[in-house]
Amino acid sequence: MKMNESWTDVTFNGRDPVYLQVVRHFKEQLATGRLEAGQIIPSRRELGAMLKINPNTAQKAYKEMEEQKLIVTEGNSPSRITLDDNLLRSIRSELISDAVDAFVVSVRKIDVPVEELLDIVKQKYLESNETERQVQEGGDQA
Amino acid sequence: MIEVVDIHKRYRGRSVLNGASFTVEKGQITCLIGINGAGKSTILKAIMGLTPLKSGTIRIDGQPMDKNLYESIAFIPDHLTMPPGMKLSEGLRFMQDFYQSWNANRAEELMKFFSLDQTERIGNLSRGTAAKFNLVLGLAQDTEYVLMDEPFSGIDMFSRGLIAEVFSSHLIEDRGVLLTTHEIGEVEHLIDRALLMKDGAICRDFQCEQIRSEEGKSIVDVMREVYQA
Repeated sequence: MKMNESWTDVTFNGRDPVYLQVVRHFKEQLATGRLEAGQIIPSRRELGAMLKINPNTAQKAYKEMEEQKLIVTEGNSPSRITLDDNLLRSIRSELISDAVDAFVVSVRKIDVPVEELLDIVKQKYLESNETERQVQEGGDQA
Repeated sequence: MIEVVDIHKRYRGRSVLNGASFTVEKGQITCLIGINGAGKSTILKAIMGLTPLKSGTIRIDGQPMDKNLYESIAFIPDHLTMPPGMKLSEGLRFMQDFYQSWNANRAEELMKFFSLDQTERIGNLSRGTAAKFNLVLGLAQDTEYVLMDEPFSGIDMFSRGLIAEVFSSHLIEDRGVLLTTHEIGEVEHLIDRALLMKDGAICRDFQCEQIRSEEGKSIVDVMREVYQA
């Protein structure tokens, strides 16, 4: 199944806490629809094995997600993704806003007029969509 | 908890361990990092009572090391120490005869996990396969603690992945693990705690997630501070 592939497909960096990188990975899966509201998620042990991380780290990631109400655990049943639509929608805006913030910080140093910047962003974005489409088509033909 | 307190050792007129102190907690993976010849293996041997010390104390759950503690602490040395003429199946039997803590089911599970052939002779194993069998012999003991000396050394990339998988599985969970390495790559995201050795002592001792969130540093960053200074 495609979802399973994307699950293990995480490259961790060494500098950010691993558990936060796991939380972020979950958010990205949610924002792109690979994980859905109400879906059962793996146990912390399974997650540890899938992502090749320490079960203690998986536990910590789940605790963080529980605190953020991203996942819910009732009694002894397995944890699930929340059904709260507002929260799920806010994740997408949160990810977009974080990415844009980082972009703004680095581009501000160059002092580009905003109109020029937006044109460049738009052009680059379309180009990268185009490249991705070609790669996918190429893959289909092969 | 394994407690190592102020251990000193000299070997051929050279100071090998010079006041090393640290603890290993149950349920955590602790990694002893140091350049070649730093004394990592010597520390593991000292914990197992395999090498005499000049001074210092080592306690396992409050007890000094004695022969009964070999049932609660497993040691995986950096090479296979089984007689080369034995078949792997005979090697497993050999361990079963020696250790009450031997768990035959787990041994079988591990043999399957690493795709090892029971009928092969130990002396005919390639280096990487021998390393896997060595891990089977250590991890199939139901012990509270496991010490591993360079479990990744000399092993190809795919087998490294397999071994890393063992670290995130129930085979390790809840035990106290102490491993040594001189290359952090494979274990960077697996270990809970890092001990950096320099000049025969522990010069940095930290929880990896903590150093990432509080100082934004990777383990490699801290290693650079220590070893390139």
